[in-house]
Amino acid sequence: MERQIAITGIGLISPLGDSSAALHTALCSGRTGVRKAGWQGCYDSACQLAAQLIDFEPQKYLKGRPLRPLDRSSQLASAACGLALESSGWNSERRGANDLAVILGTMFAGMHNIGDFDRTAITSGPASVSPMAFANTVINAAAGQTAIWHNMRGPNTTVAAGSISGISAVGHGVDLIRYKGSKAVLAGGVDELSVESFCGFSEARLLCTNHASAELPIPFEQCRNGFALGEGAGFLVLEEAEDAVKRGANVMAEIKGYATAFDPSQGKDRELAVRALSRTMSAALKRSGMTADEIDFVSASANGSVVGDSQELAALASVFGERAETLPITAIKSGIGEALAASGPAQIAASIETFRTGELPGIIGLNALSKDCRLKGISSETRMIRARSALINGLGLDGNCCSLVVALPQ
Amino acid sequence: MPFHLGNGHSEEPREEIVVTGVGLITSIGAGKEEFWRNLMAGRSGIGPVTAFSTENFPVHRGGEVKDFNAECYIRRLPPGTAGRTSQLAIAASKLALDDAKLSFTESDLEESGVVVGTTSGEPGVIERFDDLYVEGNINRLGPEFISKYPCNLLAAHVAGELQLGGEVLTIPTACAAGNYAVAHAADLLQLRRAKIMLAGGSDSFSRITYTGFARLGAISADLCRPFDRNRKGMIPGEGAAMLVLERRSDAIARGARIYAAIAGYGLSCDAFHMTSASPEGDGAVRAMEMALRTSGILPEQVDYISAHGTGTATNDRLETVAIKRIFKDHAYDVPVSSIKSMLGHAMGAASAIESVACVLAITEGRMPATANLETADPECDLDYVANTPRDRELKVVMNNAYAFGGNNSCLIFRSCEA
Repeated sequence: MERQIAITGIGLISPLGDSSAALHTALCSGRTGVRKAGWQGCYDSACQLAAQLIDFEPQKYLKGRPLRPLDRSSQLASAACGLALESSGWNSERRGANDLAVILGTMFAGMHNIGDFDRTAITSGPASVSPMAFANTVINAAAGQTAIWHNMRGPNTTVAAGSISGISAVGHGVDLIRYKGSKAVLAGGVDELSVESFCGFSEARLLCTNHASAELPIPFEQCRNGFALGEGAGFLVLEEAEDAVKRGANVMAEIKGYATAFDPSQGKDRELAVRALSRTMSAALKRSGMTADEIDFVSASANGSVVGDSQELAALASVFGERAETLPITAIKSGIGEALAASGPAQIAASIETFRTGELPGIIGLNALSKDCRLKGISSETRMIRARSALINGLGLDGNCCSLVVALPQ
Repeated sequence: MPFHLGNGHSEEPREEIVVTGVGLITSIGAGKEEFWRNLMAGRSGIGPVTAFSTENFPVHRGGEVKDFNAECYIRRLPPGTAGRTSQLAIAASKLALDDAKLSFTESDLEESGVVVGTTSGEPGVIERFDDLYVEGNINRLGPEFISKYPCNLLAAHVAGELQLGGEVLTIPTACAAGNYAVAHAADLLQLRRAKIMLAGGSDSFSRITYTGFARLGAISADLCRPFDRNRKGMIPGEGAAMLVLERRSDAIARGARIYAAIAGYGLSCDAFHMTSASPEGDGAVRAMEMALRTSGILPEQVDYISAHGTGTATNDRLETVAIKRIFKDHAYDVPVSSIKSMLGHAMGAASAIESVACVLAITEGRMPATANLETADPECDLDYVANTPRDRELKVVMNNAYAFGGNNSCLIFRSCEA
């Protein structure tokens, strides 16, 4: 019997709030964090929408020490990790006595600081850059800064798997406890919205453009034409379930298993792409010791992208067979945008709230379901369901797929 | 006992993970033969920087890869798909697969993956963004920024070129990333999540990195002199190295040449300072302790240490302190060397290149030297294999690498000879 992995703490910084409950409530009531965004005239994009963290105040979460050494993604990660540690009871005393491992997933890390550092050197000369800013130009800066802020001295790994990095980090955290002897792992993801990422995605024509029938980028919508970027951070404290119970921790849910696979055509060949995501979901179920019938709902990766959403629908149909027709499926990215590495942890957090409250958020803004969709469990309506288990999907732009099963303890 | 799986709860069968192929592109040569020949000859890969103008810098030298032609290696990905760091990773991967004499079946491909470590990913792509931004031409960015810049693409491009369908991951843990990648790939094989893994590191010469180290005053103007009393700093470099890893039984079944086994590894985080190591090398000590413990190896059994050895005043002093804390009196009997003295510091690729040097040292029975070591430093008083390679039977070799962010790593290789 594989050891069960408990989630004993969650920390979220999202455009829909800084707790699982706030995020879930907003999603269930159809409130979206996606709004008009702009870049002060420096870049004119066909896309005008993003889910920005407009009122993130780091000093609310990170007190007592100067914040200046931390770039924005380090602040987001440190803040979310602080919330996760607080909710799990891994206080500073406990962290001092036990090495806590950190796995941080990210797609871009502190890209804005990296670009800003370089632009300062171009315009004012290489001698004018700040050494403090240089320290944050490494992609593992957020993980390093978070480890310093919260004194976490265990193995500290940054993983980059594009937009699935957050789920991937959680999966690897499970392995660290199951197989590598870690007592507890703080795992999750962070990505910030920046002019660099916004321009990049926009120039690649991957972002939604506003059109008459739908203002929002809506997962599985017939007339979807791209996604809106989001940002944020989400981290989970993972522990061996028996240990967690023994120390009297609040076990919010368990991670049963995860899997990852790669589509070697990198999304270009539909058949290969669907196969990769199907393999991923099947392997995640198998490693969790569960069948497709035992999954109560799916939190899809879908974000409004034309190709990706369609591939995910086909993969869901293939893995769940007949059950796919009635399987409840939700997708939260018309609420939080494509938050890249922060998406997966938010999907997990919202799913756990569904276990707790029975409310499965509808897909915000969904009007006309994609014509290639025969699945009847996709709805814009928030529903009451009895749910103890969920499959969380992540489908990246680079061909990477990740699936993870989260469930209430037996 | 190759792997110690935690608190005795090992649900998965343990098996030794072995290296069966190596490939590299470095400032002193491409492929293992040229690399090893030049390493043994003490050839330097350091020269004037050509990637960008250094006229506004106080220093002008770097360890660049010369004459790299990506077209010799990339067959499947359309030209222009991959940035330079990905190209270097693909080239090193192909050399490693050739060296391993592997031919994948279709099912092998789906069960095989790749893990690439890096410091900066594709710095050239964001540097172009910055040039356009400063010129006010950001609308000329084009779609390549997203198809080239995010560092997850290093592993993804290797997998796309080789048609791999297993776990594909980039581990950006800065200058220790190569070790992290090899360690992670070994775990995946151990857990039977993969049949064959490619693992290593890649980085390309970066204006951003050069600017930062120059600002810190950490770059030596002429030579990199690790452990020398007159050492003046590191020299930024670039390159890639990839290793083919398999379970030992699979390697034996296909009659593969086995270079060495991965005995174990250790990782730790200083949680102290972003760019300075913890005092007395605490983090490095914890990484070495964990590596020895998980390998079931005693300090006295270690025959050679490939040092992080950047050539900066602090690194080399603290690294020496950390080695003494672990090895005690035996510290003076373990040869330690830094090949960065010849290659420069290839960033995220460095510890992957050094891993290749370690396994070649085991099979060749020869330790690479620390070049440019002329004047003894009383604070660095170990045996650094000064200037001349040394013959010695090597059964256990340790590869240390440290990074910004306080990331420490230690990988231990073991000879597979009976």
